[in-house]
Amino acid sequence: MKTIVSAAALLAASLFAIPASAANLVLYTSQPNEDAQATVDGFMAANPDIKVDWVRDGTPKIMAKLQAEIQAGNPVADVLLIADVVTLERLKQDGKLMAYKSPEAAGYDAALYDADGYYYSTKLITTGIIYNTSAAMKPASWKDLTKPEAKGLVTMPSPLASGAALIHAQTLAAVPGLGWDFYKSLAENGAIAAGGNGAVLKSVASGEKAYGMVVDYLPIREKAKGAPVEFVFPSEGVSAVTEPVGILASTKNADAAKAFVDYVLSEKGQQGFLKLGYIPARNGMKLPEGFPARDTIKILPIKAAEALKNTDQDLKTFSGIYRSN
Amino acid sequence: MHGYIKTGNSQPAWLFPFVVIIVLMLSVLPLAHLAMVGIAAFANGGVMTVLSEASLWSATYYTIVTAILGTIISLVIGCLFAFLLTLTDIRGKGLLSFFFVLPMMIPPQVTALAWVQMSGPSSPLLKALHIAPPLGSPQPLYSVGGIALLYGVQHAPLVYLALRAGLMTLPRDGVEAARLSGASSLRVFRDIILPLSLPGIIAGAAISFVSCTGNFGIPAILGIPASIFTLPTLIFTKFSAFTSRTFGDVAVLSAIIASISVVGLMIQDRALRDRDYRVIGLSGASAAFELGAWRLVFTPLVWAILFFMLAAPFFALVAGALVPAYGVPLTFKTMSLHAFEEILFRQAVTRTAFINSLSLAGATALCLLVVTVLAAYALARRRDLASRIVSSLIEIPYSLPGIVIAVCFILVFAAPIPILHVSLYGTIWIILIAYFSSFFAVSLKPVVSAFHQLDPALEEAARLSGAGFFRRLFDIIVPLIAPAAGASVILVFLIACNELTISALLWSAGTQTLGVAIYNLDDSGSSDLASALSVLVVLMVIVLMLLLEILAKRLPKGVVPWRG
Repeated sequence: MKTIVSAAALLAASLFAIPASAANLVLYTSQPNEDAQATVDGFMAANPDIKVDWVRDGTPKIMAKLQAEIQAGNPVADVLLIADVVTLERLKQDGKLMAYKSPEAAGYDAALYDADGYYYSTKLITTGIIYNTSAAMKPASWKDLTKPEAKGLVTMPSPLASGAALIHAQTLAAVPGLGWDFYKSLAENGAIAAGGNGAVLKSVASGEKAYGMVVDYLPIREKAKGAPVEFVFPSEGVSAVTEPVGILASTKNADAAKAFVDYVLSEKGQQGFLKLGYIPARNGMKLPEGFPARDTIKILPIKAAEALKNTDQDLKTFSGIYRSN
Repeated sequence: MHGYIKTGNSQPAWLFPFVVIIVLMLSVLPLAHLAMVGIAAFANGGVMTVLSEASLWSATYYTIVTAILGTIISLVIGCLFAFLLTLTDIRGKGLLSFFFVLPMMIPPQVTALAWVQMSGPSSPLLKALHIAPPLGSPQPLYSVGGIALLYGVQHAPLVYLALRAGLMTLPRDGVEAARLSGASSLRVFRDIILPLSLPGIIAGAAISFVSCTGNFGIPAILGIPASIFTLPTLIFTKFSAFTSRTFGDVAVLSAIIASISVVGLMIQDRALRDRDYRVIGLSGASAAFELGAWRLVFTPLVWAILFFMLAAPFFALVAGALVPAYGVPLTFKTMSLHAFEEILFRQAVTRTAFINSLSLAGATALCLLVVTVLAAYALARRRDLASRIVSSLIEIPYSLPGIVIAVCFILVFAAPIPILHVSLYGTIWIILIAYFSSFFAVSLKPVVSAFHQLDPALEEAARLSGAGFFRRLFDIIVPLIAPAAGASVILVFLIACNELTISALLWSAGTQTLGVAIYNLDDSGSSDLASALSVLVVLMVIVLMLLLEILAKRLPKGVVPWRG
């Protein structure tokens, strides 16, 4: 009994020892770990008095986490840096974001940030086709993935795990000649949808599948390291997400959060993204190694408001086709 | 100590109520919260929508089928090793036993990945043998059979440890008496060993079954690509598409998993009812059998099994950590230590995760043990309806997938605690309490089965001589159940160290566990980093086990589970 009493006392004592709120900036991001760490390291080097704790997960999962925290009345995150503006637009409409007019916005196309300053795009991430170098066919268009040569050899990220994948499906669904019928014929051709973009890269690089839909920087970066993969910008065009940054209204570290937004939008922060192999969103920046000239990349349009409205329905449609609930 | 409940029952009056209060806090309160959410969903008519979904019934079917097959496989492998290593004179016992417990330490998602790498079109192993399947070949593991096989591999050590704890306490005198009367080895095994090891086998089967129904890492990696969903992965995907209905849906799904587990446990209870396994004395019947010529069959067999359970996945992991990019063939030229460099020197999460996981696992194992010994005492001595209900209540959180427990605790600890005015949410404490709840059953099982085999005569004698409850506890009971208690601590530590599903939802900035860190690295496409971290985890585990091995000489016999 004594042991239990002392254990309980110890537990209670240590509970009091927890600071009510750490003075650290907490970042929720969907960037891969190495990139997130590099971004945070760059920011901390520029702002040595701010310590950043960061958390990484696929956009839908990190949003689920945030929603659960919000329901619990205790959101931990101060800043979000996640896949797509549609998600942040929803948070903005729910009144969960804080407006901040960053002076860095001057270097950006007005279409790339929210006019009220609720969120800012940081880079351009397109979704195209990855294929294994030993694949029989060299795909040039989305339609090629429905050919018999690709039967049972196609994989794609699931919109349930990846924010970019949801936007991608919503973008292609609105393209005349593709639409949901394209996704249906892919499914009939034995394509699978599972996990995030990382899973697609692995599956194709390891030869388990020959073709996949994936975000651009992963295969381009891995190819440079020697992975047996190629990346194609399909002829119909590519979908794009812009990895916006936004500050949560519930933040207790508003100044540090604003400094972070300024940093990722600044020339220096954008250079960091460039070095990691992303297309920077800021005007007048170069493209990373291995990308074709920017004007040759055809980006398909997406209507954010409509995408937001249809999200649940589109997820159902997708799940219905791919039996992944 | 006064105020006994009734004559002939040596429990102090406070003991059972104390256990009940703990169980209320760890099991009933969080689950009641979830039930209320579920009932609210019921009232809104949400339940019918969930129940009418075909996906739910196929997930239920796959959960049951994979769990049953997985349990059978883990029983076959686990029992084979337990009998061979405890009762025969096979060579290299210590080493075999050590290696056999090791796979349990590899997180299930890593095991699954390693096996996929071993058998896929790009498997370095198969490529070297020129039998690699062509590009795009279906991966044989993406199937019900694949999931069940890995369940079996993952949970065989659980069966082994549960059964071994029982075998260690077999009465040597019984075996010797039979031998002297001229009984053959087979006869001794059939008539004495097997009946007496049934509680261990059944306990092992039960642990394995509930672990299978709640496993997330394996069906996530092997099932989802083939559109095979089990209930835990279905719940996880429901969470990934978070809507206002999610909590209600999850409550219904959880109820189904809970009922599957309860049915499994009722079967266990039936099997053990009306039998008394208590034996006198405590002398291990180790090395009761000589293998003789059978050695030539069994020795290669166990080493081959170990190779596939341990060596091959580990080499696949090391290979995965050393390749510069995924899919690049591994040669001395391409080999790179970049992943280890990144993990050790750049990723802040590595150190955090190691500290978090080790302290969580240690605290969980030790705190639970204190409660477990008292609870097991109360439950083993009171064989009535109330104690059976309490046993089931302890079992339920473990049989639910971790993600459900995580949700329960989010709901409970969302608001600051009334008296203390601290909010546990987003701290390490909420993970610790969820671990208490979830691993209570794991901690309890070996201790309860030790109590079932304890002859009450010794304690009764002490009581008649006037020894108080704690005196009897420390002088008689604890030494007798030390092996089981040691097994319990180590089991909980191992499982908690590599836990993923609970922390998957409860972790926050700075409270990542190793399971979360590995899963996350892999999820973001950095499988080289995930492999590198996994290699470090495995090495850490080996070091920890070696430490125990060195300490074993000073501990009571049987505390270190893999030692004879």
